[in-house]
Amino acid sequence: MNALKVTRKELKEMFRDRRVRMAFLMPIFMVFMMIQLFGFIEGAATTAKLQTLYLVKSTNPAAAGLKTKNSPIIEIGSVSEGEAMIRSGKAGIVLELGPTPTSEHPQQVITAYFDPQKDTSQIALAGVDQLIRQQSRVALISTLRQHGIPEVAADPIQLKTHEVKVGTQGAGQIIVSLLPYMIVLFSFTGGASLSSDMVAGEKEKNTLETLLISPVSRTEIVLGKFLALATVCFGGCLTALLGLALAGASQAGSKSEMFKGGFGISPVSGLTILVLMVPLVAFFASILIAISSYAKNSREAQTYLALVNIVVILPAVFSQVIGFTDLGTKLWINFIPILNTANNIRNALLGRTDVLAVAITVGTSLVIAGIAIRVAIWLFNREEVLTRV
Amino acid sequence: MVRTHELVKEFSDPKKGAFRAVNEVSFVAQPGRILGLLGVNGAGKTTTLRMLSTMIRPTSGSAEIAGFDVLKDPTSVRANIGFMSTSTALYGRLTATEMIEYFGTLYDLSGSKLRERVQYVKDKLEIHEFADRLCDKLSTGQKQRVSIARTILHDPQVLFFDEPTAGLDVVASQTVMEFIEEERDHGKTIVFSTHIMSEVERLCDTVCIIHDGKVVHDGSVASMHEATGETRLEAAFLKLVGFQSNYRTEAQS
Repeated sequence: MNALKVTRKELKEMFRDRRVRMAFLMPIFMVFMMIQLFGFIEGAATTAKLQTLYLVKSTNPAAAGLKTKNSPIIEIGSVSEGEAMIRSGKAGIVLELGPTPTSEHPQQVITAYFDPQKDTSQIALAGVDQLIRQQSRVALISTLRQHGIPEVAADPIQLKTHEVKVGTQGAGQIIVSLLPYMIVLFSFTGGASLSSDMVAGEKEKNTLETLLISPVSRTEIVLGKFLALATVCFGGCLTALLGLALAGASQAGSKSEMFKGGFGISPVSGLTILVLMVPLVAFFASILIAISSYAKNSREAQTYLALVNIVVILPAVFSQVIGFTDLGTKLWINFIPILNTANNIRNALLGRTDVLAVAITVGTSLVIAGIAIRVAIWLFNREEVLTRV
Repeated sequence: MVRTHELVKEFSDPKKGAFRAVNEVSFVAQPGRILGLLGVNGAGKTTTLRMLSTMIRPTSGSAEIAGFDVLKDPTSVRANIGFMSTSTALYGRLTATEMIEYFGTLYDLSGSKLRERVQYVKDKLEIHEFADRLCDKLSTGQKQRVSIARTILHDPQVLFFDEPTAGLDVVASQTVMEFIEEERDHGKTIVFSTHIMSEVERLCDTVCIIHDGKVVHDGSVASMHEATGETRLEAAFLKLVGFQSNYRTEAQS
């Protein structure tokens, strides 16, 4: 009960701190902006694929075949002019048609000039390549027909694909790789910015003495501060989700691609995320309190926190690329703190919640949080740690 | 009542090794009287008060506060003491009222009892004018009044003051001293640590002088004059702690 009194006071003080308000607002803004940014990049990539083609002036009738509804063709005088346009960034790709095919040389050669170091140039090249392959295939089928050969000879081997539905409808790929990282990161940073003040700061400002001579036990003080910090960490997670909801609700960006499959968070996946986050924020809050208790002052605490930040970020970053490996499905991955939570959030977003994996992750995080809070209480009861400034 | 018996506190320092900050300190402070805990900086006054307030544990010896042992029943000790010093700060982002109320709840005051006590201390210390202002925005004197309010809110039997007027101006110091006198008149046991001799002469009934962690004098203020033959209290104190002026030594040699 006394712990809750300490928690109430800590929260009251925290919410008068601009940093806390920022810790709550930033995830909303960051997630929203991040999704808009990725939407913009996605849109830009599509535009690059369909960008204007520059063709060296030619009487070759094949030039007309390059024209499509979405990619206009502008004729230029010479190859050197085209190269100059690529160097100046005015053109992404310049095409030069070779001689008109004859019965002796039936192949139409098209030379593409592009900048290999420029992403949009490469995307445009891929677009042209796709267009030429389509036209080549049409020509091949036409030739086959002329010779009375069945059309199927153009595709002696056909690959048929069929999507196998695993779990429920999930979120878009970018959200799946981005959101677990963001949720984990904001849960930590929200609390980290404040934790240095909670014990180390109180030592420095001499407010801890008054608290220590009140009838509240030291364990209750630690638990009270831990609960307050865990609330802020959890708030960071919730505001990251709110940012996603706002981005989903907005019409800006490439919504259709980013939110493929709708908003992407079903009630089950949302609940799974919250269940996963509760022990993780407990783990974060207890680690942060232990560091703050050990440090002599706020500055020393911030130095330790900068190092811990890296330890937290690394597994969170790895969670973004775990989809390129098969590690995400291994059971042992659920015993690795932080990564296990991020991976299970990822699976939840994909609509593939594995109850056993979630249970192991929650259990692992709770055990580590328990150990960390024991350490924090032990440190808080050591007078040489508590009274040094 | 406060009773200490051969109280010892040892610290271990990586450079100095183990050392005794407080060495077998014994004294008794009676209800309705003020005991002055005197000593130069680093003598062991604050460490003694920290042990008595259960902030740190004695290495050996014993101490009893209001009938409770500091080692066996620290929670009851804390519930019966008020502790104030100029170094103990306030929570800057709480208002004066919130600060007082918070500590009231920590001392298990609630409902009408809490409101009554908060009103009492606010009236007594004239806090109403700045009651809703954040503690960070208060002047030094106003902060000191809030500190006093926090100290007496739960009506403790024993009050510890660790250099409560250090850094305060004359007006603020006067408020603190008047408050200490009033609490003495209410029958509270008061232990008052200072090295300002004028405050000792004004407030203290008995004095306990600590030097290098040991008690070098324990008795009435008058006994300090008798023990040293000095008429001025400051001179008597300096003699008891073995201070010798460099100037005088040089002149004699």
